[in-house]
Amino acid sequence: MLFLKLFSITSIFGICTFIGYYYGQKYALRFENLVYLEQCIKILETEIVYGATPLPEALSNVYKKGKTRVSYIFEEIKSDLVLSKRNFVYESFLEIEAELYNGLYFKKEDVEIFLSLGRVLGSSDRLDQSKIFKLILNQIGAQIEEAKMEKRQNEKLYRSLGVIVGIGIIILLI
Amino acid sequence: MMKEVKIYDSLIGNLNEDLKNVLIKIPLHIKGKVEEIRLKKEKPLMIYYEGKDYFVTKTGNLSKDMSKGIIVGENHIVSTFQLISNYSPYAYLEEIRNGYITITGGHRVGIGGKVVYGNKGIENIKNISSMNIRIAREKMGISDSLIPNLIKGKKDFFNTLIISPPQCGKTTLLRDIVRNLSNGTITSNYEGFKVSLIDERSELAGMYNGVAQKDVGLRTDILDGCLKSDGIIMAIRSLSPDIIAVDEIGGKRDVDAIHEALRAGIKLIATIHGSSIHEIREKLSMRDIFQEKIFERYIVLDRSKGVGTVRELLDGNGKSIPFIKGA
Repeated sequence: MLFLKLFSITSIFGICTFIGYYYGQKYALRFENLVYLEQCIKILETEIVYGATPLPEALSNVYKKGKTRVSYIFEEIKSDLVLSKRNFVYESFLEIEAELYNGLYFKKEDVEIFLSLGRVLGSSDRLDQSKIFKLILNQIGAQIEEAKMEKRQNEKLYRSLGVIVGIGIIILLI
Repeated sequence: MMKEVKIYDSLIGNLNEDLKNVLIKIPLHIKGKVEEIRLKKEKPLMIYYEGKDYFVTKTGNLSKDMSKGIIVGENHIVSTFQLISNYSPYAYLEEIRNGYITITGGHRVGIGGKVVYGNKGIENIKNISSMNIRIAREKMGISDSLIPNLIKGKKDFFNTLIISPPQCGKTTLLRDIVRNLSNGTITSNYEGFKVSLIDERSELAGMYNGVAQKDVGLRTDILDGCLKSDGIIMAIRSLSPDIIAVDEIGGKRDVDAIHEALRAGIKLIATIHGSSIHEIREKLSMRDIFQEKIFERYIVLDRSKGVGTVRELLDGNGKSIPFIKGA
């Protein structure tokens, strides 16, 4: 009986702590992924603006040079673009929209900024593309700052909340 | 014939899916003959072969009745432009400024639309309204019978001018002559020449990503997308060619550059638009060249027996030279 009680208490505490950590971790991951996304977009900018590399090859290079935790989305865009022979690059960006939310923990605003890059990527001359990259990178920079604040505020909060709720439930049960 | 069909099939892979699905259905024997595919916004889809235009119907049949042709929409044009530019118009801007894009296989896609001017001349072409896809076909060996008449001894070459109206195969013939001169393998009485090919419109070698899509020979250096007048001077200074090959000469600057090459002891092969030697002689920019008797061989083409028919081969004085007609 005692063993069952101990097992139940440990399980409840463990689950609550895990949920708290999970929610806290989402803020940390969003922040880190945004930083990696910014790096990837900078690599893409170099490939297009300075190297004039054709888009499919440029996207592959971003995948190879960037942090694979985020850069894999560029390879997915490239594969979709080439294999599905899309009419517009934006269509391939839309194909990975769900992955941006579920796999990289981005918020709606982050996703919208990234998709807006897809609307204009490759469609104009290099000077124009350079201006677009500058704008997108500024917006991503602002999102990084916001994610950093949220992380600072919420990461510890959710982790502590998980532990406290776990302890609370145990006290109530005892 | 099968090779020609394969070229056609691989080319239409670059087109919008709807257009591709129609063009793939055209009769097999015509696929090998198609010279151009023409897309114009809100106009029927057209193909051109054997000197005539045909409209392509939904079922892939060819008709002379324009009302039966499938209408090319804006979406078809935009999508095809995305595909031929590999989703990267910025990477082809230099070519677009000149009105075309060269795609894999060396095929050239001419572009029509709104031309945007800037401080340095043409900056871009926007609102693409039409595309003319010219199928580049390599015809190996068409110059074999001509080559012995263009070679002087073992190491020398007669300055040669190919005279031809448009669409009669002068570029195809020039490419094959360059390949033969460069490889030097067609007859045993001459060695290969170092050839500098000035390919202003990327038609001769069909360069794509730095690789020549057409066989222009082992000893050929290519100056791709380079103005003829600039290319001739650059080749003289840095490539030490035996022969310089250029397509479609005619301007005063071209003639000046040709003089420069001759002063450097370099031989020349060139093409020019025209239907006869008399017509060319009347051109103001070409008068000096004729007076100085720079060219020692003239090859005159027409399409009386199909594209690339050699009507006559003349020497520097305009006298006919007998040769075995293989082209």
